[in-house]
Amino acid sequence: MQRLPVCAIEDLPPGTMKLVQAGKFGVGVYNIDGSLYAIANYCSHEGAPLCLGYVRGTTEYDPEMPDQIRHVREGQIARCPWHQWEFDITTGACLADPKKKVRTYEVDVAGGQVYLTA
Amino acid sequence: MTIIDANVQPHFRFNSEIRRYLSAPHKLRAIPDVEQQWYQAPGGDYRQDLYGDGYPGSDPETMAHHLFDDNGVDYAILNPLTRGNIADYLLNSRICAAVNDWLLDRWLEPDTSNRFRGTIRVNPEDVRGAVAEIERLAGHPKMVQVGVPMQSREPYGKPMFEPIWEAAAAHGLPVAVHINGGNGVDHAPTFAGHAYTYPGYAAFMPLNSFVHLATLIVEGMFGRHRDLRFVFADGGYDILTPLMWRLDTFWMSMRDQTPWVDRFPSEYLRDHVRFCSSALDGPTDEGQAEQWLDFTNKADLLMYGSSYPHWSATGPSAVIAGLNDAQRDKVLWRNANDLFGVAEVEGSLA
Repeated sequence: MQRLPVCAIEDLPPGTMKLVQAGKFGVGVYNIDGSLYAIANYCSHEGAPLCLGYVRGTTEYDPEMPDQIRHVREGQIARCPWHQWEFDITTGACLADPKKKVRTYEVDVAGGQVYLTA
Repeated sequence: MTIIDANVQPHFRFNSEIRRYLSAPHKLRAIPDVEQQWYQAPGGDYRQDLYGDGYPGSDPETMAHHLFDDNGVDYAILNPLTRGNIADYLLNSRICAAVNDWLLDRWLEPDTSNRFRGTIRVNPEDVRGAVAEIERLAGHPKMVQVGVPMQSREPYGKPMFEPIWEAAAAHGLPVAVHINGGNGVDHAPTFAGHAYTYPGYAAFMPLNSFVHLATLIVEGMFGRHRDLRFVFADGGYDILTPLMWRLDTFWMSMRDQTPWVDRFPSEYLRDHVRFCSSALDGPTDEGQAEQWLDFTNKADLLMYGSSYPHWSATGPSAVIAGLNDAQRDKVLWRNANDLFGVAEVEGSLA
């Protein structure tokens, strides 16, 4: 493990992701509403480049809504580009089966610079 | 050894006997005979030795002799057929009510041995009528389930049926799905259309239960109704494993589309679903039966059902061939007793 410079914090505004050449498959560093998170670019299912899929929210059951669906956790869910598995970027947990996590990494900011420990 | 037979079809002594139980406005209406179907078993749907003065399965004493004496059964769940999805759904509901009144009059109330239990037949195409029929009879101590036909023009997970399932669940009554008698306005019996022969029909018609089951899970019916239980009485438990694999795999990818499904689809089965055995079920090699029954925990779902007096009726020994003692215990008695609570004495294999 080593602490790697990613970019200046201005270059990673909320709602964006930087894919860093780190580890075996790369690591996605995300800014979600001002907080930084990092997950492996490797889906726990079949190893697809997870960070290249959509970043979105997910759904919860809400019987009060006309379609009975409430949209939640917007910007916090990585969707695998291959088989559409959903992962919470803040924890690495797979939403359907929390046992199938993806790896998460430490991110910190020092002197306006974002660092990833991977 | 306690044995519960969870699928028995009692019949009227003759087809027109139902008219005695219909009210005046419906007494003379055209009603299909119970065996009036496009796909008839060669030689008749029922055991040929049972056609006589009355229809097969129409005499309580003869049935008691065959089930209780010959098969060693202790309790039998009677699930009579009605006469198909008749286009006049109000008439169909009266037919269901007539069948229920007849079941009480001829079978359940005269039965001093206390071994027969009954089914409240309802017509799902008449939701209000079906709920009213459940409310009318759910309090009868010998009525232990609600019965609906496998033949439906919409899968049973659709919200239009929800008031019926809600009423059944509120009374603690499982809903049994079984291929109906008679003839009505039905879809083709297989996913791909009409079969050509009776074997083509009989082998694949029970698979329609999986469409009902999948929609009940995916459309959230079990999630919304914790006490709702379904029994698929035509068999097919052996095909459940790959079906659940498919649903679970799909759920990993598309969970967000159905957020009311809050666990793997297969995790609903133990609390909500049972299958009756049938003669067509299971590996043809008995040596594989034990392992296959344990795949995806099917041993907790299967109940012995004879289908008496159907031509393919099976005795308990045929159904448990190749199974281990724990599996036999579940299939012959425990699973059905958990559902219906009929046996007072614990079963044992001693």
